[in-house]
Amino acid sequence: MVKHSFSNLLGREQRQEESAIKALRAIKKIAQKPVLHFAIFAVILSVIKVLSEQKILQSSFATAVGSTIIFCIVGLGFCLLLGYSALASLGTAGFIAVGAYCAYFCLSQWQFTIGTAFLLAILVAFVVGVVVGFISLRIEGIYLAIVTLGVAQILKEAFAALKDTIRLTGKQITISWLNDMRLTTDHVYFILVIALFILMVLTKNLMDSPTGRAMLAMKNSTSAAQAFGISLLKYRLLAFVLSTIYAAIGGFLYMLFIRNASNSSDTLFALSTSLNILGAVIIGGTKSIWGTIGGTFIIYGIDKMFLQDIEFFRANPTLITLFCGILVIVVVMFFPGGLVQLLLEIKLKIKKLIVKIREGIYGKDIG
Amino acid sequence: MAKILDKLIPSPQKKLVKLRQKRNWLIIERDTCKEELEAKVNKKLSALEEKFNKKLQKPAFEACDKALYIQSQNLDKLIKYDRKNYLKLRAVNTAAIKKIFKLTKKGESFDSVLENQKGKLDKLNAKRDSFLQKLEAKKAAFLEKNSQSTQENYEAAKAEALKVYETEKQSLNQAMQEKLDKKTAKLNAKITAKEEKIKAVKAKITNVHTLPDDVLLSVKGLKMYFGGLKAVDDLTFDVKKGEIFGLIGPNGAGKTTVFNCLTRFYDATGGEMHFKNKLDEVVSLRDFEVHDIILQGISRTFQNVEVVKEVTVLENLLIASTRQYQSTLFGQMFSLPLLKKEEKVMRAKADSVLKYMGLSLYRDRLAWGLPYGVLKRIEIARALMCDPQLIILDEPAAGLNETETNELAELIKKIRTDFDCTILLVEHDMGLVMNVCDHICAISFGRMLAYGTPDEIKASKQVQEAYLGTGGDE
Amino acid sequence: MFDAYLSIFIGVLPSMCAGILATFAVTIIFKTSYTTNFAQGVISALGAYVSVEITMMLGWPIWLSVILGIIACFAVGVAIDVGIFRQGRYVNTLGKQIISMGLISIIIGIIPFIFLVTKLEAVPQRPFISLTEGFKIGSTFVQYNTLISIGITGVLLALVFILLQKTKWGLSVRATASNEIVAGMMGVNTRIITAVSWGIAGGLGAVAAIIYVGNVSLSSGYIMTMTQINAFLAGILGGFATFYGPVIGCAIIYLLNALVGCVCVHVEGLSMWKAAIVYLIVMLLVLWKPQGLFGKRTVKKV
Repeated sequence: MVKHSFSNLLGREQRQEESAIKALRAIKKIAQKPVLHFAIFAVILSVIKVLSEQKILQSSFATAVGSTIIFCIVGLGFCLLLGYSALASLGTAGFIAVGAYCAYFCLSQWQFTIGTAFLLAILVAFVVGVVVGFISLRIEGIYLAIVTLGVAQILKEAFAALKDTIRLTGKQITISWLNDMRLTTDHVYFILVIALFILMVLTKNLMDSPTGRAMLAMKNSTSAAQAFGISLLKYRLLAFVLSTIYAAIGGFLYMLFIRNASNSSDTLFALSTSLNILGAVIIGGTKSIWGTIGGTFIIYGIDKMFLQDIEFFRANPTLITLFCGILVIVVVMFFPGGLVQLLLEIKLKIKKLIVKIREGIYGKDIG
Repeated sequence: MAKILDKLIPSPQKKLVKLRQKRNWLIIERDTCKEELEAKVNKKLSALEEKFNKKLQKPAFEACDKALYIQSQNLDKLIKYDRKNYLKLRAVNTAAIKKIFKLTKKGESFDSVLENQKGKLDKLNAKRDSFLQKLEAKKAAFLEKNSQSTQENYEAAKAEALKVYETEKQSLNQAMQEKLDKKTAKLNAKITAKEEKIKAVKAKITNVHTLPDDVLLSVKGLKMYFGGLKAVDDLTFDVKKGEIFGLIGPNGAGKTTVFNCLTRFYDATGGEMHFKNKLDEVVSLRDFEVHDIILQGISRTFQNVEVVKEVTVLENLLIASTRQYQSTLFGQMFSLPLLKKEEKVMRAKADSVLKYMGLSLYRDRLAWGLPYGVLKRIEIARALMCDPQLIILDEPAAGLNETETNELAELIKKIRTDFDCTILLVEHDMGLVMNVCDHICAISFGRMLAYGTPDEIKASKQVQEAYLGTGGDE
Repeated sequence: MFDAYLSIFIGVLPSMCAGILATFAVTIIFKTSYTTNFAQGVISALGAYVSVEITMMLGWPIWLSVILGIIACFAVGVAIDVGIFRQGRYVNTLGKQIISMGLISIIIGIIPFIFLVTKLEAVPQRPFISLTEGFKIGSTFVQYNTLISIGITGVLLALVFILLQKTKWGLSVRATASNEIVAGMMGVNTRIITAVSWGIAGGLGAVAAIIYVGNVSLSSGYIMTMTQINAFLAGILGGFATFYGPVIGCAIIYLLNALVGCVCVHVEGLSMWKAAIVYLIVMLLVLWKPQGLFGKRTVKKV
């Protein structure tokens, strides 16, 4: 029963080695738990905000990161829809509008609390998702994509008829049970980070769960899926409801963070937003969470975070659009699997390089 | 309108299925909770062990044979040193060999290289010797400082530790037993409650069909018309329990259509399909939707192998058991412990099926890019996941050569025995069909031509005509 | 009353012509490349820019600028197919859609650098004939420009239809649209057919935009977005199974627009909701016939 283990009494060398082994094991454990990766990412994002408040980074940088986070949230929902259920949807912008307009009406016109407003936004998104889900049973493929575009247009025009430009003031965004404390954009930034973290964890869990597998089965072979108990109705509805709710959350948070949106021109609620989210997900690698985050940062982030600071780009703002367009096309042409594929290839190349270097120094193993 | 209402209000059949699933899961829980509790107790015991080992380290050290101890430590250090040294040795040797090859090509002598190499090797050996000397010095110093060994402290400490360990172990075991009994009692109560509910729902079901004892599936007057095209026209046959039943016919005879009607991919235009499910109840297959058929105990394979290419082989099998999971959507999104438990059970089952089919090698490989024969076996493995009563194989030998077909025949017979199920099969390969089937039904243009044992079918005039045509006297 | 209705219907005609041509362009690309070209709108806007630039900055006659605009877009269309799609490592239909989406950004980004027109404060409308010339029906003023637009549209449509139905080239296009691989095996040079189809789609889009800027000022590269969206909706309304289906679908959408506009004359405050109502009706029609009004139903074999 009792073993002789003298580790505590050994030389310093051995103890150092043991602690090194423990540290490596800890890192390995962290590397295996995706939740911890997401947490580290959330911490990095928060640090960015703190740095910008201390004026080490510009405040516009933090704002850009914040709005990119919002689009990451929308992108996650779209990733579930496109990557896991192969359902094409160009209606994302309309669903974002649902969340944004709900925030506006609930907070500004009807004076609901934030909690109630949020729940109402989710409820409306749920209903819209169910409707589109039922539609998806009748219509498939590219037709479905354009029908969702039509649904988004209906929503956009209906909302525009109600109110063309929506604006929220700081006065209206208050937490009632904290003595009516006003929620500044700084606070909202941290809410964004937390929301992104939670949704990343939930999405990851969903992808690894039986539901995620069922959605993949439905994507690859509807006959096999049905023969093994997977009801197409249930999972299509689920896919649309989830992605609509994610988009509505994004729209709601957008209104809390950016505080105004206009329905008239080529902005948040237009087809270009839906296309950008589609592009972001595909560039990142359609089934991967990190890919979606990366793709969103490429399409939305690079512009505001970095290029705005370069004088050349600021003078010619359309060059930014040009640059992003070229980036998108290059990635799609040469890396159809997205960023994830690109990173895998880089990893392989690095591994090969390491082996080569080792051989160069130590020679090939003879005998 | 009635159809929509039908979908919204769960029929008694559906409720029955759900209740039974929950009860089965409770039974599994009850049977596995003993192992779980034991595992927990063992974890606690090993933690205790660790604690005691740490406590005993110092006395053990004092009691041990110091010379032996320092000798083994030095040996370990030497091995580590040699390991690090090996790469340097290798580098020296490779460099030398390269130079030798170069010089031999040029035709010059390579004595200088050998000298160089010897010099370097000597240097490395010298380093090693100095390291050895250091080790010896450390050993001497150590032995000087620690010369005695006190046995008594160690023995006393060990005895005490053992006593405490035994008492802890007893108390833990006792606690575990209590918990086990409590939990089993609770689960048993839940199980009986579910059984009551099941009985109540069952009593509500009015239209009860019956089938003779030995018949598993009875198809009467099955009709499938696509507009004017009569794909299946008034087909009647019985499949007996535990047999292998073959459906043959020329291309376009409607064989796959029959399967699609049975598994509810098509809505049959007319006719009855009665099936005896796992609980010996006779149900009409028309009452079920296509995604509920698997719960009645019917699984199938497809003519065009429909394996999910994007996931691993193991996950393909797990897809087949999606309906067995009790976790709700929220449970899955938050990865609750219930889901983890269910995953363990399901994965163990999938592993056993993979082992049975000889696919354990491919367990974690993506199904994309695997050879055709392997994909076919995955299809069959997937059909076995839910302990089916009836397995429908749609052209399982398509694309296989003769050896593989013979293996398939043996596999089908083995599955029938090992899984205690009935097999319904459509095939073109007459060798396979005659070899494996107990009864065969031959159809043509949606109508039945003949039914009987393989010999009877071989001899049947109608079948010969349908396949070979009526040739006058040629 | 009748006059109000008439003026509404006459007013919708120019946009309808532009829409019909755009729809046809979208249909051609969809049938031959199986993708939706999201950049359709900006490519046609490019054509309009070329034409307006030549007319305003160089002072050349309109008919010349129109032809140059068409040629420019034809070239752009061919360049996209040959220069981008063919060079990619493995570009499937989804990839082509994303590329077309990236192209939107590229073209929008390039436009300010090439065209001096963008530096102007306000670009006036640039019709074929001045908008003030026309004739009256009752109290409705019908511009000659509208008639010219209709004429051009009709001629182009008839031309392309005749080409598709009666010529060998048209047969090749229909074969490629039906099954590209088999068509290739039958001796159809699918690469040239696809490239030319992109070119023609570009050209048709250019005409659509040029007609459009007759009545609407060329303010940015995004002016054709609404027309493009209508073109996609028309495509599914009519069904991509035929070449004429989407065109009729487009006509339905614009006429529906006019119809609802007429109703709005009577009902107070409804005009805000006009667009939403039109889209709703279109969606319901699509739901009623999922394969399009002229589509063909297929049963999938398990």
